[in-house]
Amino acid sequence: MKAQRISKIEHGTPVSLIVNGQEIQAQAGESIAAALLAAGQRQISQNSKSRAPRGYFCGMGMCFECVATVDGVPNVRTCITEVTPGCVVETGS
Amino acid sequence: MIPRKPDTTEIAIVGAGPAGGAAAVTAARAGASVTVLDEYARPGGQYYKQPVHTDGGPSYPHSLASTIQQGRELLEGLSHPGIDLQCNTLAWNISADELVLDLYSPAGARALQAQRIILCAGATERAVPFPGWTLPGVIMAGAGQLMLKAHGLLPGKTFLLAGTGPLLQLAAVQLLEAGAQIAALVELRSRTEFLKSAAHLWRYPDKLGQGFATLQKLLQARVPIKFGHTIAQALGETEVSGAVIMRVDGDGQPIPGSETRFEVDTICLNYGFTPATELPRIAGCEQYFDQDYATYATATNDSLETSIAGILAAGETRGMGGAEVAVIEGQLAGSVAAQQLGFSPPFDQNGLSDKRLQARAVAASLGKMFQLKPGLCALAADDVPVCRCEEVSAGEVRAAIRNGVVQLNQLKPWTRAGMGRCQGRICGDILRQIVAAETGLPLSEIQPFTARAPVKPVPLEVVGGPVAETDTLTWEDHVGGYGVART
Repeated sequence: MKAQRISKIEHGTPVSLIVNGQEIQAQAGESIAAALLAAGQRQISQNSKSRAPRGYFCGMGMCFECVATVDGVPNVRTCITEVTPGCVVETGS
Repeated sequence: MIPRKPDTTEIAIVGAGPAGGAAAVTAARAGASVTVLDEYARPGGQYYKQPVHTDGGPSYPHSLASTIQQGRELLEGLSHPGIDLQCNTLAWNISADELVLDLYSPAGARALQAQRIILCAGATERAVPFPGWTLPGVIMAGAGQLMLKAHGLLPGKTFLLAGTGPLLQLAAVQLLEAGAQIAALVELRSRTEFLKSAAHLWRYPDKLGQGFATLQKLLQARVPIKFGHTIAQALGETEVSGAVIMRVDGDGQPIPGSETRFEVDTICLNYGFTPATELPRIAGCEQYFDQDYATYATATNDSLETSIAGILAAGETRGMGGAEVAVIEGQLAGSVAAQQLGFSPPFDQNGLSDKRLQARAVAASLGKMFQLKPGLCALAADDVPVCRCEEVSAGEVRAAIRNGVVQLNQLKPWTRAGMGRCQGRICGDILRQIVAAETGLPLSEIQPFTARAPVKPVPLEVVGGPVAETDTLTWEDHVGGYGVART
């Protein structure tokens, strides 16, 4: 399920990031979670006990369900972290 | 901890949302030096979140454009030369004796000492646990709004919204205006309860009018509104592919055999809010049980001073009230703090106090109308995780309660519920509801988890103090808090 960019709203300048080795397009200023959802990647982390898939949930940095490793730093909350051009994101841990 | 000399300011404000923003602007206009600390990259909090790509002009759906505009006007005030706005900065600890905040930002760890501290930390949305509630595609309603408001992004195609209260309807209208399909809006209150409670708002015709206008938009768009129902299950393997709703009785207990299934890809939840009170609780500020919202919040006097000298609280941290209350309380707290430091605030405090009491009265009526119902705990079958981080099931929680646990602080070491990364922010209030349902104790007698620093996970070296390359941290440096190692 891909999140839809609302066409009548002007979006930012394109930037690309590397997610699990694949290049995806995002827009400057948006959160990593927004970029992942727009690329159709809803599973962002997995529970450390059950390995069950988890994703964007509270949207405001409270729940830590959307954490990923960003440029080598683990446990980054993607919902409140902006994309930077070329940033390297590893999801699913 | 390694001692270090803190930075100083006259007034430190935690949170740059409606309350913190208004407090900062008010105190700075009175002449005070203000430092505003906000965890996020940009000010505004959730309610006044600004679009990241555009100026939020006419291309935004109408119901979002007006909030964005109001927020922009408030946030423009933050450029006042007396305000030092520090974004990406988490205030993770507070010392009540010295009025010192411990801060963490990507640039490193610091401390800030103030003559007055105003805590405006906002609130957390509340969900209830049900089978499938951890699946990707189940999100908080406010999280859906944020994607729309900040990013111009619809987080799905076909939505089901479930919970109770006015936010759900507003979120549904905003999603509709942005082009979403709404399969159903599932409201816990029965139609009769809904109309009865609306009648209680007769003294506030503005609120009533806004509510009905929102409802009318949904009816015109033929959105099915399922009164007296609740979400009962999210379907799907790795993400949401459907939802099951059930009718509820007067206590919120789902009625077997009443299941209806919807094909949806996104489920938005809002069963109310919980005030963010970690910092005031760490500081030792007295908490009170807010009967109207059935949650604990930070007690203050009419001048918004907490029980700890020098610390004030405004907005949701002071008790759920909404953005209008938050702005008024921010202005009042900013005025009070500035006046105590010898400045002349731009507001008549008596006038503000009157406005505040009126706005609080409306908020209290709304709170009473949309409390959680105890029967909803039945949705958390014994195999459903209640604590999402540690995957503690409702069955484990109930077993602990049968063994005599009656407080959250007992439940925590017994089951690990609340010990994960969210530190009980998501499950804490739900666990209080389950303990109440199982024991028959009133909610007012079930205390929240004890708040501990750091209020959010931070790298260990932040909790332990600055680390030189040659330093070796000892265990004693670490045990002050629970951190997530950075590498």
